[in-house]
Amino acid sequence: MTGPRPQNGPGRRPAGAGTVTLMRLAFLLCLILLWALAAATVPRGMIPSPAATVEAARRLLSEGRLQGALGQSLITYGTGLGAAILVGIPLGALMGMVRLFGRTVDVFVFALAATPRVAFIPLIIVLLGLGIEAKAMIVFLGAVMPIILNTYAGVQARDEELIEMARSTGASATRIQIHVVLPGALPFLVVGLRLGATIGLINTVVAELYTAVSGLGGLLALYGNTFRMAEYFVIVLALAAIGVIVTESLRLLEGRLSRWRLPGRP
Amino acid sequence: MTHVRLEQVSLAFGQGTDRMPALERVSLSLRRNEVVVVLGPSGCGKTTLLRLVAGLLPPDEGRVSVDDRPPRPGADAAMVFQSFRLIPWKSARENVAFALPHLPRAEARARADAYLDLVGLSRFAKSWPAQLSGGMRQRLALARALAAEPGILLMDEPFASLDAQSRELMQIELMRLMERRPATVLFVTHSVDEALIMADRILLMSPRPGRVVEELEVPFPRPRWEGDIRALPLYAELRRHLWDRLRDMVLNDPGSDFHGRR
Ligand SMILES: Nc1ncnc2c1ncn2[C@@H]1O[C@H](COP(=O)(O)OP(=O)(O)O)[C@@H](O)[C@H]1O
Ligand SMILES: [Mg+2]
Repeated sequence: MTGPRPQNGPGRRPAGAGTVTLMRLAFLLCLILLWALAAATVPRGMIPSPAATVEAARRLLSEGRLQGALGQSLITYGTGLGAAILVGIPLGALMGMVRLFGRTVDVFVFALAATPRVAFIPLIIVLLGLGIEAKAMIVFLGAVMPIILNTYAGVQARDEELIEMARSTGASATRIQIHVVLPGALPFLVVGLRLGATIGLINTVVAELYTAVSGLGGLLALYGNTFRMAEYFVIVLALAAIGVIVTESLRLLEGRLSRWRLPGRP
Repeated sequence: MTHVRLEQVSLAFGQGTDRMPALERVSLSLRRNEVVVVLGPSGCGKTTLLRLVAGLLPPDEGRVSVDDRPPRPGADAAMVFQSFRLIPWKSARENVAFALPHLPRAEARARADAYLDLVGLSRFAKSWPAQLSGGMRQRLALARALAAEPGILLMDEPFASLDAQSRELMQIELMRLMERRPATVLFVTHSVDEALIMADRILLMSPRPGRVVEELEVPFPRPRWEGDIRALPLYAELRRHLWDRLRDMVLNDPGSDFHGRR
């Protein structure tokens, strides 16, 4: 996937997708070489070699520990993030559509978003215990804020000229929201989802460390504390992979939803 | 016979001490299927006048009526806006169909296709506005307004952003379309030539607050695209008269950049 979408003028062509992929593979190779070099020079055991890490991954997989932890983490992450999406989008949209409601509650949402959410963990544990409910709640609280605030901003950024045009055609308020206001908010919404997904993943690990130790976060603590660095690296890489897959999928979605921005004749 | 009527309409924008009258006691009436052009300098309230007739804005004082009733947005008039106002994430066809909220989906689509064809955009039905040239966007905006088959067509400097050639072609195109399917047209411009070519009647407006200061019948025979009316002596005479009036208004308007120059 490319970075910020280039605005290609008629005369300029983007570097071929093949070239970019090749360059990226080359860069990845460089990183692995650097890693191997670091593993060889740093005193033994501190940084595992790539080969040792692959070996550890194979061991964890054959024991089923990696799959088990991954499953636990994904359930926590999916539940929390899913709830954040289901609550955040309608709430943010409602705040933007009903101006008085938005103006009334937005300062409180901003205040809550500015409070470090880890501060709530003891309270959540007291209320919900140490199980999946508490974990999903920690993920939810982290992910829901950027989703609410970006949806809100997107609906507020509505194009008044387009709305007047829609009114002139006799469109109902509902039709205007569905066809003009909400699609206009989509780019903001996707940014909110990406931020929410990232914070949600961080909070998944935090939740697994602070409540009943489980999942990838639990393994991270276990291997980190016992200096089993090869296993520890496997977990870090697994977490990185989840983050990359989720945010890249959202970027693909964003690209699909904003094809109309791309210039160039059909 | 009277289709649209404004009686002593006044309207101001802003609150308190910032309150600025935009229109002051404007009265006018449009006969059915008449083309009336409103000519006036920038900021004299021409767009505001169209919004009043569209029913998008209520007057502070006076009365606006279409067939003796207050105008209802979407039911009486369709508007072509100055900056086109196309929905960027909708295709050309969807943009036109969007303006037909009262029709079932399939019917709206079929109607959209018919009007895209009318303005020569059939091949671009699936294109997004960003993929169209300025002239094509203008035709799309026109198709969207025409597709509603309105009794009243409100046009706000619709050709102002086109180059001289496209502009002339679009003027002819619009006159041809009006010949096929007549409508009452209220057309805003600040171009004297455009006014003389399009209008059955010209209303001259003064700046801040806007008032109708002169009314002028344009007697040239139709269709006007056959032969060049600009070659007629009367054309030159009317043009000179309108141009002088406009220039005087701008020079005597304290709010204008050209105030007091000679
Ligand atoms: N929504 C608005 N809020 C405040 N002032 C406005 C608004 N619309 C128009 N005006 C003011 O009213 C006057 C007439 O505007 P407009 O009808 O757009 O003029 P024109 O179309 O002739 O250029 C201008 O001075 C403009 O600044
Ligand atoms: Mg205007």
